[in-house]
Amino acid sequence: MSPDIIDETTEIWFGPQHVSAHGWAAKLTLVGDYVVECEPHAGYFHRSAEKVMEFRNFRQGSLIMERLCMLEAFLAEYPYVTAVEQIAGLEVPERAKIMRTIMMEASRIHSLQFWWGQFSAELGFFAMLIWPWVDREWFLNAFEELSGSRHAVSYNTPGGVRYDFTEKSISVLELAIERMESNMSKFEDMLMGSPVFRMRTEGIAQYTAEQGIKWGLSGPNIKACGIPMDLRKDSPDPNLAYDLVDWDVPIIESKEHPGESDAFDRMVQRFKEVETSVDIIRQLLKQLPEGDIIDPKARSKANRLPEGEAYGRVEGTRGISTVWLKTTEKAQTPYRVKIRGPCFNSYYSLKHLVPGVRFADFIVVFGSLDPYPGWWDR
Amino acid sequence: MSSIDLISITALVRKVQSDLPEIEAKMLNESHVEFVTPKEKIRDIVTLLTESVQMLFPESVIGIDLEEDKYEVIYMFWSHLNNFLCQVRVSLDGPDPSIETVSDIISGLEWHERETHEMYGIKFEGNPDLSLLLLPEELEGKYPLRKRFKTDRSRLAESGLPQPKPRPPKGGATE
Repeated sequence: MSPDIIDETTEIWFGPQHVSAHGWAAKLTLVGDYVVECEPHAGYFHRSAEKVMEFRNFRQGSLIMERLCMLEAFLAEYPYVTAVEQIAGLEVPERAKIMRTIMMEASRIHSLQFWWGQFSAELGFFAMLIWPWVDREWFLNAFEELSGSRHAVSYNTPGGVRYDFTEKSISVLELAIERMESNMSKFEDMLMGSPVFRMRTEGIAQYTAEQGIKWGLSGPNIKACGIPMDLRKDSPDPNLAYDLVDWDVPIIESKEHPGESDAFDRMVQRFKEVETSVDIIRQLLKQLPEGDIIDPKARSKANRLPEGEAYGRVEGTRGISTVWLKTTEKAQTPYRVKIRGPCFNSYYSLKHLVPGVRFADFIVVFGSLDPYPGWWDR
Repeated sequence: MSSIDLISITALVRKVQSDLPEIEAKMLNESHVEFVTPKEKIRDIVTLLTESVQMLFPESVIGIDLEEDKYEVIYMFWSHLNNFLCQVRVSLDGPDPSIETVSDIISGLEWHERETHEMYGIKFEGNPDLSLLLLPEELEGKYPLRKRFKTDRSRLAESGLPQPKPRPPKGGATE
């Protein structure tokens, strides 16, 4: 860089019209083509979900929750559902617990497949945009076979689930997993084996686990630093079936930079997540008992809740999402719902991660955290 | 990573009670503790928590409007290493509630505070940026998550949206 460029700063808006900025915008200050300051802006998707939920009853609330992140709909609606269950004192039947867990893991795989495509496209690998999305269609078929809907599945409901498995829906799900597994190694080769891909991602947006946790990052973004921080293992939810399964939290222990993760590590981490999810689904499908899929008293008990406060949490695809719920005596609607989306903090952390990277790498930093605007705008 | 120091939830409660006796501790269940904190002690308790619990994860800041100018703020933290949740609850009152920021102690809460400010009008003194995060400019200072903010048609004129046409009289319009 010539000295006269170093003195001058340029401000550039990345988004909201940019193709990769689907519903967000960041103001970048550049010196040459190095970003020295990043100011993420939120609010383009804001639909005041928290206020809207104060006027919807406890069964309707979960339908709003899943619309915050359609890619992980089964997971997104769960924290609200479990918070209602805690206050109402509902007991989820064993079959429903296992079915929930299976579908939540299927949702995780589907969401990660979407991310592979999106992240690769953001880096210019357009072949990889379409291939994982073709396999993703099979998961959408499985969701459709189960619930009649491809995205807004409305599956979890206070007290259990809405739709029972059929032989066909299980076979479509198994088919989707088989197809994905047969193509997985191809995708791994295409991404990890590509020298260009490695050059674009290695050493980009590197942070330590301590930094990441301080900024509020969670999920694969922290597990890629070698910290097995995973709610599925740490505090197994009594209304889910993770304790019935023999599995380990997937983590990456990097030899070059132990305790830290860069964009490449986080991509590898997301491949590992898929393997774990497949393993969990396979084990649970074998253990599926017969029985009810919903607490028979669910409808009456979730109609009016006693006074209380509850905190529902789930380990989503992108990290920890939680719902804090307060109800008043015999109320039909919540008094206060606070949603914590995992991407709220991922997006915030761009402020710390971006300064110092080159302008072309900005989207790599953003994409490697797997943020979804619905989660921070709500 | 340097050495890991673990602390159990009961040891944490004992430490808080000996260092900050004004703070009341309540066990919500075996892995979830609540510290009811006076407003002035918020920075002390958050500093104590971050110092005594390694890798404390900032989960959320929850604002609650209890009506009649009473507010509550709950700071939610989670420790993966020790596997417990701890929440710090602060009561605020008055027409312009305010509390000191903790975003310089644990930066992940910066935006949570900013959001709570725009939604409830709770001022976090010392937060570097309390401008609007999610809301459009028209709603600045309206604090939409307060209970007194009505969402029915009574506020339509304020929003600048076109007024709905009045319904035609029964039996069709007559000129």
